[in-house]
Amino acid sequence: MATEALGLPFEVGAASAWLVWILPFIAALIMPGIGKLSKNTTGYVAVGFALMSALSAASMLPMALEAHEIHDQVMWIESIGLKGGVLADPLSIIMANVVGWISFLIMIYSTGYMKGDKDITRFWFWMMFFIGSMQLIVLSDNLLQVFFGWEGVGLASYALISFWYRDKKKDHVGTEGRTVLGLLDYYAPTHAGMKAFIMTKVGDVMMIAGMLLIFLFAGTFGFRELMDDHTWATAMSAQGLLVPAFVLLFGGAIGKSAQFPLNEWLLEAMTGPTAVSALIHAATMVKAGVFLVARIGPLVFALGAAGILADQFFEIVAWVGAITALLLATQGMVNPEIKKVLAYSTGSQIGYMMMALGVAGLSHQYVDGYTAGFFHLISHAMFKASLFMAAGSLLHIVGSRFMTDMGGLRKHMKKTYAFMWAAGLGLMGAPFITTGFWSKDAIFAAVYESGSEWALPIFAIAVLTAVITAFYTTRMIGMVFYGKKSRHIEKMEEEGHHIHEASLSMWVPYGILAVLTIGIGLIGFSAEGGIHHLFAEYLDHTFGIHTAHVESGDSFLPAPLDGLNPVALGSSLVAFSIGIGLGYVFYIGRWVDPVKFVNSNIFFYAIHKVILNRWYLNAIIYWCFVVAPLWLSRGIFRYFEKTAIDYGMNNGFQKAVGWGAKVVQGTQTGVAQSYLFVFGAGLLFVVLILLI
Amino acid sequence: MEYALLQAVFLPLLLSPVAYIIGRKMGPTPAMWFTFAILLYTTIIVIQAALSGTVEEHYPWTDQFGEFGFLLDGLASPFAIMIYVLCTILALYSKPYMIHKFHEQYEEEHKEIATTTGTSTVVESSSLSNYVNAKSGLYFALYLVFAMGMLGTVLATNLIEFYVFFEIMLIPGFFLVALWGDGPRRKIGLMFLFWTHAGAVVLLLGFLMIGLTVGSFDFADIHESEIPQDIVLVSAIAISIGLGVKLAVFMFHIWLPWVHGSAPTPISALLSPAMIGIGAYGIFRLIVEFLPATFADLAIWFHIWGLVTMLYGGAMALMQDDIKRLLAYSSISQMGYILFGIGSMSVLGLSGAEMMYVTHALGKGILFMMAGILIVKVGTRSISKLGGLAGKMPITAVCAVIGALTIMGVPPTSGFMGEWTLFYGALETAIEEGSTVRAVTFGLGLVATALTMSYMLWMLKRVFFGKTPEHLENVKEGSWYMTAPMMVLAGFTVVLGIYPDIFFEQIIPYFNGVLGV
Repeated sequence: MATEALGLPFEVGAASAWLVWILPFIAALIMPGIGKLSKNTTGYVAVGFALMSALSAASMLPMALEAHEIHDQVMWIESIGLKGGVLADPLSIIMANVVGWISFLIMIYSTGYMKGDKDITRFWFWMMFFIGSMQLIVLSDNLLQVFFGWEGVGLASYALISFWYRDKKKDHVGTEGRTVLGLLDYYAPTHAGMKAFIMTKVGDVMMIAGMLLIFLFAGTFGFRELMDDHTWATAMSAQGLLVPAFVLLFGGAIGKSAQFPLNEWLLEAMTGPTAVSALIHAATMVKAGVFLVARIGPLVFALGAAGILADQFFEIVAWVGAITALLLATQGMVNPEIKKVLAYSTGSQIGYMMMALGVAGLSHQYVDGYTAGFFHLISHAMFKASLFMAAGSLLHIVGSRFMTDMGGLRKHMKKTYAFMWAAGLGLMGAPFITTGFWSKDAIFAAVYESGSEWALPIFAIAVLTAVITAFYTTRMIGMVFYGKKSRHIEKMEEEGHHIHEASLSMWVPYGILAVLTIGIGLIGFSAEGGIHHLFAEYLDHTFGIHTAHVESGDSFLPAPLDGLNPVALGSSLVAFSIGIGLGYVFYIGRWVDPVKFVNSNIFFYAIHKVILNRWYLNAIIYWCFVVAPLWLSRGIFRYFEKTAIDYGMNNGFQKAVGWGAKVVQGTQTGVAQSYLFVFGAGLLFVVLILLI
Repeated sequence: MEYALLQAVFLPLLLSPVAYIIGRKMGPTPAMWFTFAILLYTTIIVIQAALSGTVEEHYPWTDQFGEFGFLLDGLASPFAIMIYVLCTILALYSKPYMIHKFHEQYEEEHKEIATTTGTSTVVESSSLSNYVNAKSGLYFALYLVFAMGMLGTVLATNLIEFYVFFEIMLIPGFFLVALWGDGPRRKIGLMFLFWTHAGAVVLLLGFLMIGLTVGSFDFADIHESEIPQDIVLVSAIAISIGLGVKLAVFMFHIWLPWVHGSAPTPISALLSPAMIGIGAYGIFRLIVEFLPATFADLAIWFHIWGLVTMLYGGAMALMQDDIKRLLAYSSISQMGYILFGIGSMSVLGLSGAEMMYVTHALGKGILFMMAGILIVKVGTRSISKLGGLAGKMPITAVCAVIGALTIMGVPPTSGFMGEWTLFYGALETAIEEGSTVRAVTFGLGLVATALTMSYMLWMLKRVFFGKTPEHLENVKEGSWYMTAPMMVLAGFTVVLGIYPDIFFEQIIPYFNGVLGV
């Protein structure tokens, strides 16, 4: 291991690793000052710092490709013997680049999207804080420091989701007046921010419990230190605490990455400015959970290889991922709000990543699933950022979050139309030309070949989800760009609004990413091969996880596709065709009216209703964890605090004192009777005790 | 420096008449600066002494009681520093708030006179300023004595001395509430006096039992092994109950919401973060350090009691509409955290508990100052009448968020450093003892953190975010006297959250020594 290797190039590398996350924080710190001087400058400063941070990340890339590692530590809390530091290995360097560059593009987009907002300084402060926190998670070398970034992104998301804190009607999400199980399905920004913060906190609480358990046995939070010496794991395993500890850590990832059952905050998070949604969904926050699993996964697997088994961890990860993928994808099919469709899609795609990372641990070829999950993270980051930014343009132009208020926009917004198709194809996994296809295919293959007992059911879920994904993406594009113009748009045009393309600073960023989705997609297979190779080496070097070389002689596929799994490939093609075909029938060709179709029989109607009501999960969570505790608190307050304590004890004692005062008044007249009475009584008691 | 601690404790007391005279003759501003200067000087002395390591001073006292001494060690210094830092900073904050209060009371009294005599008197401006001068002289004099009482308690080295200081801080506290509180202030002041004094008497009982058995009241002479077991147990329970009243733990918290809600806000900001936590200091010093074997028996009960207090205080805070009462219940909950940490019986758990005192002092100090600014600038303390103030008073809003994050224990505020060490301690003992009860309390303790987060965020939402009611259109930011102290504390909590060694390097070695690790 080249961890502590010194020498000039490494020190330069260490400096970059520090700078990647410190620069955004510096930008955040100086932002209020710059905002005071000139509000217009803030955007340039933010973009500039985001660029510098991304460049620092890029400067580490050569090291990643050579599978080098930078591990630079400083003393942090000396009295407990805790060190802080940066750990830049291939995993974190690639992640830092994904985060850095996508954030940079989103920052450029924001200069256009947020133009003229009077609270712009606050916006930039939190955006930079957000990026800094995320990079801190990525580059930290220990769990405690990760947790700082972890709560940092939570805090930033809270602040940004409720950025428009004045709770104007246009900033809400949900349909006004709609109720599910008696609870409003309509959220104000401040409510949404709170919901996100508290819900992810539930995950964080689990995570901290897991961290503390590990610290208790290992005496360290450091990722490398945990790897170097396995005795802690043996001890924990003996007490049956190893799996719980890892699962608790995963609890943090469930919260941050909006996985089942803590997925519900993600939808309301759509109250934030769209640039924020893009940042949350593509680069920061929800990816943090996946990253954490990618961080600790190899450790768990390596422990398993050393005989300290924790397979249940991987099973849970895989199943949580699978359930989330399907659960959220279904909801994406019915929601009328464009950002919510994208949000459901994100949760669902993150589910895919978790699925891959979980299944990886259940197979013998850890690197396959690992690479697949991480590659999907990268490709998802590109197309989802692009889709969100494009959706932001639509919102900006149309002034409504409902897709039913759009329609027929393809002639007016040609660029957005084209880019959305390109990125959308990535999300659907259009064969051979998009990154999304290759990464999804890799996941399918990894699941199918894993040899786990759960392989088939999870594979089936994955394929079904792919069908649904292709369907809802087509639906979204169809509703927005095809068909007739909606009444809303006609009204806008009547009022003299001109429906036009978004400004340059807005369409260029999502254009770049859409083009990249296709561009990298064209060479996707070899790109994946490159990452695969890199990770195989990394896992081998750092964790001692060897990769067996599979001979691919018996494949009947043509030479360029040699090495693909035919079953996975076939399912992927079929899923894509069915999904896009159905979507075409309903929303682009408009041969069948979806509303009539749903209402045509009671069965479809019931399913539609359950899905539209979010499988009732949100409502149940609110009843159990918001309504009921409040009701209980009110009961205790009214019938215990106000009666027993306030009335009973206070007044009771007062009366007793009043009576006592009368007794004492014979000898003591005047001031502060109660004081004297108690003093006297106390002394008396002492004397009695002493005498006895 | 020679006599450093003696100066630090008695200078405010000796100079309090001067503050009174200055206030009377020259007005509130010179009195405020004078108070500030004394406290700043003594704070610097305390910090300097703390930096030089453990400081001990002994002075002859009476034969019966033993020595009159001061001890500033790893346990006492975070308490001492926080108490004086808060007192110093809040002296500045006091001026605008108390002048506002004096004006209010002046009008009230004159209205009474006018109605009783039936004559409409023209208010002379000179009579108002005389009134304010006299009152502010008295206020700052009492303020100094209050500060002195708190510091003396945490530095005492003798049971009787401890008790004397413990009671001294009560008297100015009583007057400050009874003279300038809100609502039925005399009644509430008396309630404060009664309950905490009742607690103090039980405490004294415990002291006397130990002192008379040992034959000396000096801390140094207390050796648990020399005292018969049943006496130790009874006196430890008496001491815990006595300090529990001060700490306002569940069932003994009766007085706290009333008093904190009613007291003038700068005093609430001292009572809540600084004063009630002294109960925790007492438990650390008297029970954890001096009666370790008994502590080991009682620890689980502290643990559970702390947990119940955490949950109960949090649940009650959810129900409050009066912002100061909400903060008061929040303080009860936070004291629960401290007791929970004490019950963990491990080095990091106890250190975390002490860190919670520091961090609660910072966070709650900020939040009470926020409440005071709302009272002065908006004129209401009812949360339901507030909303959307973040745009009107950005500095207050930012500081309040930082304060709330500190209470919630979100990094990078110091709250997180207190919280994770505290919970680590709880977990450590649970695993080492293999105790199911402790494992469950650990889990429920984590639930309490989510509860804390809920009531804090909900409060922020209702006060600072959302729609602005019409009557708040013209609200302005508080003056610098009020915002600057908040900013200082907010800065401090972040610094401490990133670099907790400032206090940990004193606290942890101390508890290592006490628990014999």
